[in-house]
Amino acid sequence: MAILEVKNISKSFASLKAVDDISFSIEEGDVLGVLGPNGAGKTTMIRMIMNIIVPDNGTVTLLNSTEKSTANLIGYLPEERGIYRKMKLVNVLLFLAKLKEMKMSEAKKQIDYWLKRLDLMKWKKKKIEELSKGMQQKLQFIATILHKPKLLILDEPFLGLDPINTKLIKEIIMELKANGTTIIFSTHQMESAEKLCNKIMLINKGKQILSGKIGKVKESFGKHNIHLEYGGKDDFLKESTYIKKFDNFGNYVEIQLKDDMPSQDFLKEIVPIIQIRKFEIKEPSLNDIFIETVHSHGKEDDHE
Amino acid sequence: MNKKIWAVVSREFLTRAKTKGYIIGTLMFPVILIFLFGGIFIFGRFFQPSTQHFEVIDQTGKIFPQMVEMLSDTLKNGSLKYSFTEIDATEENLENTLEELRTKVLQKVIDGFFIIPDNILTSRQVKYSARNVSNFDDLRDIERVISKSVGNIRLENLGYSPEVIRQEMYAGYISLTSYQVTEKGEISKSGVSNFLLTYLLTYLLMLFIMIYGQAVTGSVIEEKSQRITETIISSIKPIELMMGKIVGICLLGITQLTVIGSFIILLSTYGSPALVKMGVETPKLLNIIGNLQFTPVVFAFFILYFFMGFLLYATLFAAVGSMVNTTDEGQQFLTPIIFLNIIGFFIMITVAQNPDTPAAFWASLIPFFTPSVMFARIAVSHPTLPSGAILSIFTMGISIYLIISLVAKIYRVGILMYGKKPSLKEAIKWIKYK
Repeated sequence: MAILEVKNISKSFASLKAVDDISFSIEEGDVLGVLGPNGAGKTTMIRMIMNIIVPDNGTVTLLNSTEKSTANLIGYLPEERGIYRKMKLVNVLLFLAKLKEMKMSEAKKQIDYWLKRLDLMKWKKKKIEELSKGMQQKLQFIATILHKPKLLILDEPFLGLDPINTKLIKEIIMELKANGTTIIFSTHQMESAEKLCNKIMLINKGKQILSGKIGKVKESFGKHNIHLEYGGKDDFLKESTYIKKFDNFGNYVEIQLKDDMPSQDFLKEIVPIIQIRKFEIKEPSLNDIFIETVHSHGKEDDHE
Repeated sequence: MNKKIWAVVSREFLTRAKTKGYIIGTLMFPVILIFLFGGIFIFGRFFQPSTQHFEVIDQTGKIFPQMVEMLSDTLKNGSLKYSFTEIDATEENLENTLEELRTKVLQKVIDGFFIIPDNILTSRQVKYSARNVSNFDDLRDIERVISKSVGNIRLENLGYSPEVIRQEMYAGYISLTSYQVTEKGEISKSGVSNFLLTYLLTYLLMLFIMIYGQAVTGSVIEEKSQRITETIISSIKPIELMMGKIVGICLLGITQLTVIGSFIILLSTYGSPALVKMGVETPKLLNIIGNLQFTPVVFAFFILYFFMGFLLYATLFAAVGSMVNTTDEGQQFLTPIIFLNIIGFFIMITVAQNPDTPAAFWASLIPFFTPSVMFARIAVSHPTLPSGAILSIFTMGISIYLIISLVAKIYRVGILMYGKKPSLKEAIKWIKYK
């Protein structure tokens, strides 16, 4: 069952097309990573999903819209996040829980649990302005997940966190994922996206340039790359009809095969010629894909 | 009410109600009144005036006896309020006598001295010398008595009997008591008290709308500048957030006004009688307060018009908050709103004296002036309801609805606009957004 269905949404601000005809859908339990350079339109898209801004075109269907108040089933961590500085930590959390119509007894229980978990318990009765930036970030995260949302939308969740807290938040996200929470998050951290997501979407200049299950995306980029450690003469590199291009480091070479050539056949061809120490079909990292895709799209745009 | 709006209402109310400033502000008025009453009580009880000693040089020889006779008031403790001693002075020793009297005044043997000249009938001048000449009430008493004596002598000189003439004049004095005509019959009331009350209450009403209205602006700006808005509106619609804010802050005002109003009622009902019972003379101010017609009905209208006036103005204040990024930027938009409020106050001052003119009727139906002008008309006309009172509740209701629907559109867009230079043109564009 699709938890979120986005169809052809667009949004312009004055002459700038912030989001241009984006469509996708996610199922229950999916973790979607929204990637893209700064100013790509990620936040605008997320705001449209949250119904904070209305799209010029297209529709967003959330949780099938049959549920009475979808807002209570979503946890949203905006990119622009702040909190009432003069309020006590526990009162802020209680207030935000009330806005999600949580039962007070349940809210108090959850608050204590998460404050302990994120090591903020001794700040419970302190005013927000006394907290460090990182603590405020953690508090924001607690506020987002307190009401056990079915759908979690996190806009740059690791912004401003140190490596220790980043790890902690990642662990919690993994836990929520394991419990069946559907998650959408935008990030610049390719490594996090790679580990956490099962789907990714790449946006650049408002356009959706790549999307799908992470394995498939990688496969489509990665089946032709081979890392080879070998002994013997390197004549085969020039002679083989399988190879599109290569980058030779002596005993180690990175090879890109021609598009329709199976790597299996290439392996058979070289087995008799050289000593193979290591033959690896190398998937590109999301980072490579990100850079390559954004780069090539940038070029296309330049030609236009 | 929607649970979510209620959460906003209680947050806005509680975070402010718990501050020292608010608690002090709420209790200040009653405390000032308690001190005022305490002061009057202590002053009246322990600082009773004592007999004042005057010496008199009466060159006519006729006026001094009448002064003694007519100024024989006693103080609470039974002693005389004034004591007069006549000093004989001839032309030759006058300078010496005056010198002695001045010394006595400086040595505080006497409080002062009078010189009633021989030609008083034509000169009509009496000289009074003392260290302290600001006891106006006493001097007016003495002036009145000497005037009366001089008048008597002049009447006698013309061959009339002063006693007969005075008696006839007294017999002719009348007093004017004002009665207000109402559906329930005629009611006597004190005009001064009623105006005082009306001005005081209307002033409070306008002042509170301005103070708490600007708190709404501040609250919106806080959420904007601290980037809190987006977190909140992922859970609650912008219009609900705005309404919760306005109602929560409105309750702060109502709480304070209720405390102040209750104290005025307590004061006018029990204040003066209590002081009289304790044997303290009541100052004139308290008589005015005692005559205040601050009934529960007027009180109810007071709170009602505050509530409606606040909704109307605070919605505009919320719009300003959503349009700007800082309090400074907001000032230029707040000024016209405050000005509108002040115009209403000035109209009220005129209308309170003539509450039944067509101009008063129409002015009290203009939504921005209704809270002050209509309330003033209700307060001065009480217990009669002035024309258009019920109608004004409907017109206010409709105006509030329209303003809220309009501002909700500005608010929704404005609270997420960061760093944009605010302008009315921009805000009008926002109204047209989907």
